[in-house]
Amino acid sequence: MTAGLGTAGQRRAKGAGRRDRRGDPSRGWLAKTAALARKDLIVEARGRDTLPPMMAFALTVTVLLAFTLPDGARVDAQVGSSAGSAPIADVLAGFLWVTVLFAGLIGFARTFEVERDEGAIDVLLLAPLDRSGIYLAKAVANSVFILGVQAVLLPAFAVLFSVRLGLGLVGVVILADVGLVAIGTLFASLAAQTRSRELLLPLLAFPALVPVFIAAVELTSDLFSGSRLDTVASRGWFGILIAFDIVFSVIGALAFEYVVE
Amino acid sequence: MITVEGLQVVFGRTVALSSLDLTLQPGVTGVFGPNGSGKSTLLRVLAGLLEPTAGRALLEGAPMRASDERFRARVGYAGHQPGLYARLTVRENLELFATLHGVGAGRVDEALEGLGLVPHAGTHAGALSAGFKRRAAVARASLHEPDVLLLDEPYANLDDDAAELVSAVIMRWRGQGRVALVATHGAKRVKAYASGSLILQGGRAVSHRARAPAEATT
Repeated sequence: MTAGLGTAGQRRAKGAGRRDRRGDPSRGWLAKTAALARKDLIVEARGRDTLPPMMAFALTVTVLLAFTLPDGARVDAQVGSSAGSAPIADVLAGFLWVTVLFAGLIGFARTFEVERDEGAIDVLLLAPLDRSGIYLAKAVANSVFILGVQAVLLPAFAVLFSVRLGLGLVGVVILADVGLVAIGTLFASLAAQTRSRELLLPLLAFPALVPVFIAAVELTSDLFSGSRLDTVASRGWFGILIAFDIVFSVIGALAFEYVVE
Repeated sequence: MITVEGLQVVFGRTVALSSLDLTLQPGVTGVFGPNGSGKSTLLRVLAGLLEPTAGRALLEGAPMRASDERFRARVGYAGHQPGLYARLTVRENLELFATLHGVGAGRVDEALEGLGLVPHAGTHAGALSAGFKRRAAVARASLHEPDVLLLDEPYANLDDDAAELVSAVIMRWRGQGRVALVATHGAKRVKAYASGSLILQGGRAVSHRARAPAEATT
């Protein structure tokens, strides 16, 4: 068969064979990134070290919060004192995103734990893959974990607080998650290099997450209180969320290389 | 060829490497010395994982830095820790690194066979004995047939048969222009095939000899 290729064909075949043995590291950024993300998900599926603690935390906090609200409270009711009151939809939106934020931090803090075992971080950093690929792979895995938590948390909110779940809320959740994960993954890589990473991560991440958090709470509050999606969209919070998602994702991908060096 | 110029590494008050000047010709150089002599530190610097306090290491004139993607493609490193994912099987570990290095699946089978890992290919790396982890680490480091191979104690925890397999892999890997440093306490094994030797003590090179390639055991 090789003879039929002629001299140029033989050279090409020989070159391909050499690449197969020595590799062609410049190709396949996406395939390499996907392989790393898949690795993190397989490791989690086998070890269950990250998602169950995140879910347990989120559900425990939600049940405890349910006890703090007045009996029979509805999303259109008001809670507060004589000094002031707030619609309960605002309070629930705050509950939801504070719970997601803290559950997310549990997961983000473990972002590089799998690499700490057996010294895999050194060989990962020696892989001929642009650092942005490692960052994206970690962000994808973190997104799956946080979406997994929300897949349990949102139905729990619907049952406990009678909030309506719709496509608008799904859109808000996805947009907010992009910002949370972009920042959380970046600061997790920074905190992972320190001994007090569990303490350092919230201190670093919280200030940066404030814009995403506020936008997510505002949008969720509007949706919980029954506003139409076009009315919610007209208030501009979607634009702010998308803008921060883009800025944080670009900063995360660019800064990651300098953080891990 | 690797050139090391005025290399110094200081951790706090501890001088790990001091004013090291070396030229490492293609071939295998055994790095010997007592504990704390700077063997592992030298290998980490050459892998680009550790920034020296002073001096530099050059591969064919270019700085050896892990921040350089082209350099990363040319280096294979197995440190004290095996660098494997404990919850992936040995095969999955090698397949992952094969993908990262753009190497075909055929090399994974070769690496497993070469180091006698075929019966353990489906075992989670975390469940392997220390000796098998060491073999898997050598398989991972040499998988993409790097131009620079840096092995830190590749014979640790290995029985004689396994040590022979590791030596065979290193000897098969040798080729034109390729440079390997093998840090070990088992000088006898490495001297059997090495083309050079470097003895470190207290972070300084007390002896550096290079044999002509023909003198080295083939």
